[in-house]
Amino acid sequence: MSDRPTRSASTRSGLGRALIAVYGVFALAATARSLVQLGTKASEAPLAYALSAVAALVYVAATLGLAEVGPSPRRLAWAAVGFELVGVLTVGTLTLLDPEYFPDATVWSDYGAGYGWLPLVLPFVGLAWLWRTRPQNA
Amino acid sequence: MDGSLPLVLLVGSLLFAAVVAVYVVLDRTPDWGLLGFAAVIEAATLVTLVVAAVQVGGVDLHGGALVTLFGYLVAGLVLLPAGFVWSLAEQSRGATAVLLVAGLAQAFVVVRVMQVWPS
Repeated sequence: MSDRPTRSASTRSGLGRALIAVYGVFALAATARSLVQLGTKASEAPLAYALSAVAALVYVAATLGLAEVGPSPRRLAWAAVGFELVGVLTVGTLTLLDPEYFPDATVWSDYGAGYGWLPLVLPFVGLAWLWRTRPQNA
Repeated sequence: MDGSLPLVLLVGSLLFAAVVAVYVVLDRTPDWGLLGFAAVIEAATLVTLVVAAVQVGGVDLHGGALVTLFGYLVAGLVLLPAGFVWSLAEQSRGATAVLLVAGLAQAFVVVRVMQVWPS
């Protein structure tokens, strides 16, 4: 059974389904983590916790976009996964240069090493999947 | 909380993920056996949640850690059913692999519960 897409393939079919599951888990985990951080100790590390909230929104947006929810899901997915890649590279580099920037760990700290590097791998897989399933002319 | 219950749950979750991996490799679609396996894990998770709720008064666990513990336990109840709903909507290797993701996430949840619970 080949899941090679033809013209304008669905992003939520075949391999995409498993990818969305991973994004869904990250969306759930990041949202819950963010709510706990903001609800119990928001003043301790505001920057790190604000970043956690942003990351949570990005994962939720990526999940919805890839799952083809909403008016223009493909655009949403490109934007969210692209932002995710920039986010993990930026935050990963900053935490490496100066750990003081983020006193409490975020999902993107140290390029996501605390989460088995998945946060670093995921956007590349996501972008590759969006590219592979992109709409083609004729 | 007796350490053996979460440990059994962890081993069970990893075993489930391993079985699903075999299904994915063989390109087999999920069957009743797999669903039954998941149901056993689900029941064990529920038991863990109840045991934690009963015993949590006797341990030193407050604020964020308490919310975290039960957050993970509730997530542990949601992961596999959600995984099956998402997986069974399509018949493909990728759809079966959704259960692999769910099984590994379940194992991760159990590890976190074991870490948060004061020993």
